[in-house]
Amino acid sequence: MKIMTCPINGARPVSEFFCWGEIRPMPDPDTCSDDEWAAYVFNRNGAPGVKKEWWCHTASNTWFIAERDTEKDVVLNTYLFEGEIR
Amino acid sequence: MISSQPLSPIHGLLEAMHPLWSSETSEAKRVIRIDQRDEERAAILGLADLSHQNRAGAKGRGTAEWLSKLGVTIPSQANSWCPLPSGGLVARLGNTEFLVENDATLVEKIMQTQRAPGVYPVLHQDAAFGLCGARVNELLLQTCNIDFRMLDAQPSKVVLTSIAGVGITILSKTNGKYPSYRIWCDGTYGIYLWETLAEIATELGGGCIGVDAVQ
Repeated sequence: MKIMTCPINGARPVSEFFCWGEIRPMPDPDTCSDDEWAAYVFNRNGAPGVKKEWWCHTASNTWFIAERDTEKDVVLNTYLFEGEIR
Repeated sequence: MISSQPLSPIHGLLEAMHPLWSSETSEAKRVIRIDQRDEERAAILGLADLSHQNRAGAKGRGTAEWLSKLGVTIPSQANSWCPLPSGGLVARLGNTEFLVENDATLVEKIMQTQRAPGVYPVLHQDAAFGLCGARVNELLLQTCNIDFRMLDAQPSKVVLTSIAGVGITILSKTNGKYPSYRIWCDGTYGIYLWETLAEIATELGGGCIGVDAVQ
């Protein structure tokens, strides 16, 4: 069983969570180029490596950030979101 | 903010058992007793419907302070609960969300008081169950990934997890011979969860009971 650690609820089976995908700061649509905007809308980074992702503990609806090495399939760190994504 | 439920989400299932109902008219009806063997089942593994209880929910950064001003003692830590002097309880679900379950007086007070900035209502149309008996942990181990025996060492802890695939809030109210737990889930899952738990409880030698037999 895979274990994910929620910052509020502690270690739980990964079946209690879902992943909302990599954190991707949105470019300013008024100032960015069409290519930048198209890349933001349509492209995803599939390369393995360390990524920051949104995860949610569904039983408590706790949203948090997980830093995950998708190459080694290891969760490095989890913490609550604070402030704004830049 | 408040859900005063005239009928339990599993009212139809309860009615089919032809139990003894409470006679109060101002409160939601509750099952006092299923039959003469309630205490016997409760000692082994009893499942009771507690959905009739008054409850209110609120969340937001200002909620802890707002509830304190209303005279509600709140738990200092996330995912913990404390009893209220009048017999109810306050559960802290996460950092800034609270569930209050008590008599109608306090719940009405919370409902009618003007909310402070940063306080948001949370609707609780929950199904609430009581589980008790010597074999209750066997039922929980069959339906959940958490070993609830850890709650014996941390009696004030609230756990938000899933049982039989349903997101629930659970806490230990063991104060007697046998373990006892309180469970809340979204009311729309009430029938499924009741039927699942009742089936396992029956397999283990227990079954459904009225509120008078819950320990």
